Amino acid sequence: MTPQSFVTVYKEWDIVGARQIAREMAKELGFNVVDQARIATAVSELARNIYLYAKEGQIHYEVVETMNKKGLCVRAVDTGPGIKDISLVMQDGYSTSGGLGAGLPGVKRLMDEFDIQTKVGEGTTITTTKWVRL
Amino acid sequence: MPIPILKLHNYLLISIQTEIDDQTAIEFQEDLLDKIHKTGASGVVIDLTSVDIIDSFIAKVLGDVVAMSDLMGAKVVLTGIQPAVAMTLIELGIHLQNILTALDLEQGLIKLHQELGV
Amino acid sequence: MESRFTRIVVENSNTIVQMWIKEIDSLKEVNYTATISDSLYDSTNREFAEVIFTSIRNQGSTNAVEEFSGKIIKLGWPLSYITDGLQAFRRVTTDFILSQSEKVDTDYFSNVLSSVNHWIEPIIRQLVNDYTGSWENILSLQRVALQELSAPLIPVIDGITIMPLIGTIDTERAKLIMEGLLQGVIKHNSEVVLIDITGVPVVDTMVAHHLIQAAEAVRLIGAKCILVGIRPEIAQTIVKLGIDLSDFATKSSLKKGFTSALEITNRTIVDLESKEEKVEKLIHLLQGE
Repeated sequence: MTPQSFVTVYKEWDIVGARQIAREMAKELGFNVVDQARIATAVSELARNIYLYAKEGQIHYEVVETMNKKGLCVRAVDTGPGIKDISLVMQDGYSTSGGLGAGLPGVKRLMDEFDIQTKVGEGTTITTTKWVRL
Repeated sequence: MPIPILKLHNYLLISIQTEIDDQTAIEFQEDLLDKIHKTGASGVVIDLTSVDIIDSFIAKVLGDVVAMSDLMGAKVVLTGIQPAVAMTLIELGIHLQNILTALDLEQGLIKLHQELGV
Repeated sequence: MESRFTRIVVENSNTIVQMWIKEIDSLKEVNYTATISDSLYDSTNREFAEVIFTSIRNQGSTNAVEEFSGKIIKLGWPLSYITDGLQAFRRVTTDFILSQSEKVDTDYFSNVLSSVNHWIEPIIRQLVNDYTGSWENILSLQRVALQELSAPLIPVIDGITIMPLIGTIDTERAKLIMEGLLQGVIKHNSEVVLIDITGVPVVDTMVAHHLIQAAEAVRLIGAKCILVGIRPEIAQTIVKLGIDLSDFATKSSLKKGFTSALEITNRTIVDLESKEEKVEKLIHLLQGE
């Protein structure tokens, strides 16, 4: 897994930058308009989580290819406080920031694959992939 | 760049043309409420035709702005939400209940007209 | 060693082909190829044998193999004809070479086997590849065809559109339907969309969930969704499963749905001239004569 490119998120405006790159890459890979919006929105949510909870982190983008499909893999990496209870944040409607609580479960629904690794005090890595529909 | 708010009779018209970041969204919320207060407008149309992404934060700001305007006596109609944006919102789990919507600006004005019963 | 085997086989090709064809013929009885006419079966067998020998002589030339596989695929013969044929060829050839040799020890035997395999394997690989390639091609074509007939959107009158759904709805299809629905609403500038589920055999929690999502998305873009064609058994399952469709406008038939769509768009149907009036006029005319 070699990251193709990444952006660092530590200002609010970086959220916009992160999702613009995601949309551009999704477009180039041949995702349709709806999937482009799905990916861009998911990235926006991930970047916002970094900005809100970890203060600083990165969004990595990578084109992944298997025998008969290709997709875009997005990894959100931070060294923030980590998540104490994953099952809690994966519940619909749960939020500590006063937002809509759509965050992670929403991201999971927008993308095809979703994985979360976290350790309290060390940080969180969320890896998520969307495949181009044939 | 602040989002321009136009006045037409007792309606306010807003067309969001740029990628909205959080700060712009918050500023827009304040500007709009201010304008409703000043003009005493009874209806607002926010056109989102050129917006190609609405994440949970922007959705919350929009939902709030509708509820706040309602409190101040102005009905808000959201128009021109793109199919891709609508699907993404639904999948995110954001339903924007109790919000008036219309296909485009014209239909939005008609809807306001009906709602306000003038 | 190998070239010696090649020589034995090529020199005795006639004998081997005869033995092979006998073997193949015995397969025909129990096989899927039973409906094929004898003469076509015969000529194809001969061509097949020719292809195998060309490949052996040229040490793995695939041109002839490609041509042959193309022909067999076009004829629609099963893949097992080719695999069985090559298995038989493997058996026959190995037997033949062994019968031509005076001294047979383990080394020799394994040499024979590996040579024969060396001839056969590239052909099998090529043929199986060609076959699966053509299957995958058909599969993807069918998938496209399925998508095309997935969910048509029919504008019936300004502002009112109907989407009849037919067949089982899975997640993948539900997404396509939703995309088509929303794009269609924009394209036809529809105020009301009627989703007709008369043709959907089963509405379970998942399907209902997708329908609700679609209706919500339609509301967001500024139109209204009415679910029509709810059959009694569907109504029963929906309620028994505890699915809440209370936010969803529903009507039992397309006709009722259309009437309520007309109401929403501020319209009514007016008969230009009622039947009674027509009859009266007619009587009037007749009396005048």
